[in-house]
Amino acid sequence: MGELSDAEGDLYHTVARLGQHSPFVEVLGEAISGLSSRTNGRSASFQTPAHIRGAVFRVWTGGGWTEVCVSGLDTPSLRYAEGALERVLAHRPAHEPPPGTPSTARIEKSTPTPRPITDMGEEEMQRLARDAFSWTTGVPDIQETEVQISWRLDERLYLNSAGARCLQSICRVRAQIAAVALENGRVGSDRVIHGAVGGREILNGVTPEKARKAAEMARALLRAKAPPSGRLTVLLSPSVTGYFAHESFGHGAEADQFVRNRSYLQPLLGKLVGPEILTIVDNGSYAGAWSEIYADDEGHPAQRTVLVDKGRFVGALHDRDTAAALGAEPTGNTRRSDVFSRAYVRMTNTYVEPGGSTFDELVKEARNGVLLESGTGGIEDPQGGQIQVKARMGHLIEDGKVTDLVSSMALSGRVLEFLASVRGVSGKEDFVLDSGSCGKGRTDFLPNSAGGPYLLASAVVGQA
Amino acid sequence: MSLTRSGEAAAFRVVDQLVGKEPWEVFGERIRRYEIHLSGGKVEMTRGPIAIEGYDIRVFRPTESGTGIGSYASTDFTPEGVKATVEVAERAAKYATFPSSRVELVSGHGATGGIVEVLDRGLWEYPMDSLDGYVSSLIQAFEGRKEFALSFGSVRATLVETSICNSAGLRTGYGHTTAELEVGVKAFGGPEGPAPAEYWVNESDRRIRPAELGIRVPEWCRYAEDVRRGRPPPTGEMPVVLPPPVLAGILPVVFGGRFTGPARMRGMAPKPGARLASELITVLDDGRVPWAPMSSPVDDEGIPQRRRTLLDRGVVSELLYDTLHAGAYDTKSTGNAFRGSSGGFRSWYRFLLPPTPSPSTISVAPGQGGTDTEIIEAAREGVFIQEIGWASPDPLTGAFGGEIRLGYHIRNGELAEPIRGGTVGGIALAPEGSPSLLTQLVAVGSRVGFAEPVSSPPLLVKSLPVGGER
Repeated sequence: MGELSDAEGDLYHTVARLGQHSPFVEVLGEAISGLSSRTNGRSASFQTPAHIRGAVFRVWTGGGWTEVCVSGLDTPSLRYAEGALERVLAHRPAHEPPPGTPSTARIEKSTPTPRPITDMGEEEMQRLARDAFSWTTGVPDIQETEVQISWRLDERLYLNSAGARCLQSICRVRAQIAAVALENGRVGSDRVIHGAVGGREILNGVTPEKARKAAEMARALLRAKAPPSGRLTVLLSPSVTGYFAHESFGHGAEADQFVRNRSYLQPLLGKLVGPEILTIVDNGSYAGAWSEIYADDEGHPAQRTVLVDKGRFVGALHDRDTAAALGAEPTGNTRRSDVFSRAYVRMTNTYVEPGGSTFDELVKEARNGVLLESGTGGIEDPQGGQIQVKARMGHLIEDGKVTDLVSSMALSGRVLEFLASVRGVSGKEDFVLDSGSCGKGRTDFLPNSAGGPYLLASAVVGQA
Repeated sequence: MSLTRSGEAAAFRVVDQLVGKEPWEVFGERIRRYEIHLSGGKVEMTRGPIAIEGYDIRVFRPTESGTGIGSYASTDFTPEGVKATVEVAERAAKYATFPSSRVELVSGHGATGGIVEVLDRGLWEYPMDSLDGYVSSLIQAFEGRKEFALSFGSVRATLVETSICNSAGLRTGYGHTTAELEVGVKAFGGPEGPAPAEYWVNESDRRIRPAELGIRVPEWCRYAEDVRRGRPPPTGEMPVVLPPPVLAGILPVVFGGRFTGPARMRGMAPKPGARLASELITVLDDGRVPWAPMSSPVDDEGIPQRRRTLLDRGVVSELLYDTLHAGAYDTKSTGNAFRGSSGGFRSWYRFLLPPTPSPSTISVAPGQGGTDTEIIEAAREGVFIQEIGWASPDPLTGAFGGEIRLGYHIRNGELAEPIRGGTVGGIALAPEGSPSLLTQLVAVGSRVGFAEPVSSPPLLVKSLPVGGER
């Protein structure tokens, strides 16, 4: 964490000087490094994350929060930010401190790993990618296999005028093999992805067997039926369950929506909203998970927050402002995509906790319906209480058995109606956490993870 | 280093250190950004200046099987910083492979893109005042509307000086502005009526235009009220009318996935002359639509943007190339190399990512279907989709679909009660001989509307699967 440590003195003194004009000042500095490769048999490319160094200063003024961001951690850049904020404070001085209690945490932590990856360069990554590329050869009709391998080290230093200091270095590693089958212009595709916080050991999550399985599935999708439409019994695979958790009680429980009076969930806090078999958690301290953080971008330590406890909606995700407005405590969920983006209340690793059923029991219980597999995305409506979740593929369930493969589909419906229909959750043997990203509105994407086991319910589905 | 302290464009500041490293290309940006965030009808936070100045260096090195391309972006303009940037790019080029040895960088003479309207002078000169004025007008437009309110929002202005140069002698640049609006408009429910609901506005423009709020706000309020009253549609296959805001979420991704040099390299691009759509439709890629967010005098390799025909009355005409893919197929770049572009949407700072071929503004030519009212009349019985939650097309398979955020039943050729919920989807673009949204067109409207990044009339599709309650 050399560059941030080198700049710490300048950052600290800038905060101190601005603190003479404002009751509260904070800064987040960031330095990114890493390497990613993409190989598809015809071409190979390497991308190093840009040499971005920057800082965002947030000060409390007479008009509320104001932020100034600069690229560069050099003294002239920091002075530029300081000058811009001094001009704002001269026009709009703050006479009262901001709402809420500032963090005074002092945290310093780096990703612990027995097998660091930060020394992996282009040559070694190229060798790994070539090996992985060969795993799908032999599967007929595969037109293309693309291998992506990446590691990214995100170093952040948070300081504030209340004395907090959080220096963290998080290494995210990810591998993906995508297979594309082509026949008479028709395309089928599937992929295997594994990403987590750690080192080289993460790459072991993508195996030759999983890659071949993805290639065979891509080929099978060439002949997949169109999915059924309408209200059906649905069995969600772990990744689709994750999208459900993320979209429903993830976004719905971000307390900035409560403060804006735009969450249908707010009046339901403390009430039963689903069956006893359903527990949903957001956990930024989940060791090794893709969205693990040690402290949030307001200096609050990451933590496990239970959102739904045995069917009862019990918790929300807070930053300093929402905690102050709603009489709660910050939950370590204030996050910025980068130092040029604003902070929001954001999820970390959000998941449905395992239940007590087996997959076979859930299929039998479903009797007729559709199994949605391989989640690809979702969207939520915090005001209206609707969600959409998409799946790359699925299978029909007929007479209590998994039968024909079907192509991509979307699930849509009201969260509360969906919850009321939940009939079963499978056990920990099926539990999976994915490695994706999430935006707030249409922007501000950051690493995010969601997951769970299989979940049985009913919903409207359709081709998508 | 901050943008305010150096007069010279970002890309030009590093070229002296690239002597002897030919061939190379530098893309630079000097960015100022300002944001106002709203919570309810009040200002929650102001941000800015967000000052970023950065560049990306690409180097091209011959390899046994083609060209090794390396690139690296940085915000460090010191001699040591530029040197380190070149070293990382060289290292990447050493191990990278692109299957063509022909890399023809455009020269200075080739980069006369001419004038394209992409810069709002008022916004450029007075960004924060412009934003303040717009936000005041926005808040004012909701005063007195007891049944409606702003629930959240942000207005963001980005001012960019883009500069591009290369070892073939290119030195070009231009300034451009973007104003992005994201707001939630809430319609309140009465004690006996349906619960409150929101209509989401996501718009991007080169200009900031508060005067338009007088027209737009009542429209948004009507949509919010319709979202509140809407109910899921019936299940079945039925005629569907898709206006520009819905097409904006579908067409750029599917044309980007199939009508570009990389698609050709993957064996997935259609052949010129193939019929992929109804003869009713002609689709263009137009990088010179005035004030469109994807418009610019030149692309991100410095090649002038032009108007290209992708589908001519349903038949494949041209594909879109950058310099590299054009070289691989012994053709010319079409001026479609864009950085940080996905599905027609551009990141606000783009120097971080290397360019790839992608569409500019997808423009569907006006058809003979008449006014929007006549298109709806032609549907007779079906649904009109105003907004899909997230159509998220698969660029490979062409499959698209999602939740209906707002739609309307069409009964007896007229718009009827609103739809909220359920799904609509299908295959947007399929191989020759296979059915798709574009082969099943019944009518193409005559009145073109713009919804970033698409310029199109509404399309009437004979039949798409709709998933609903009944």
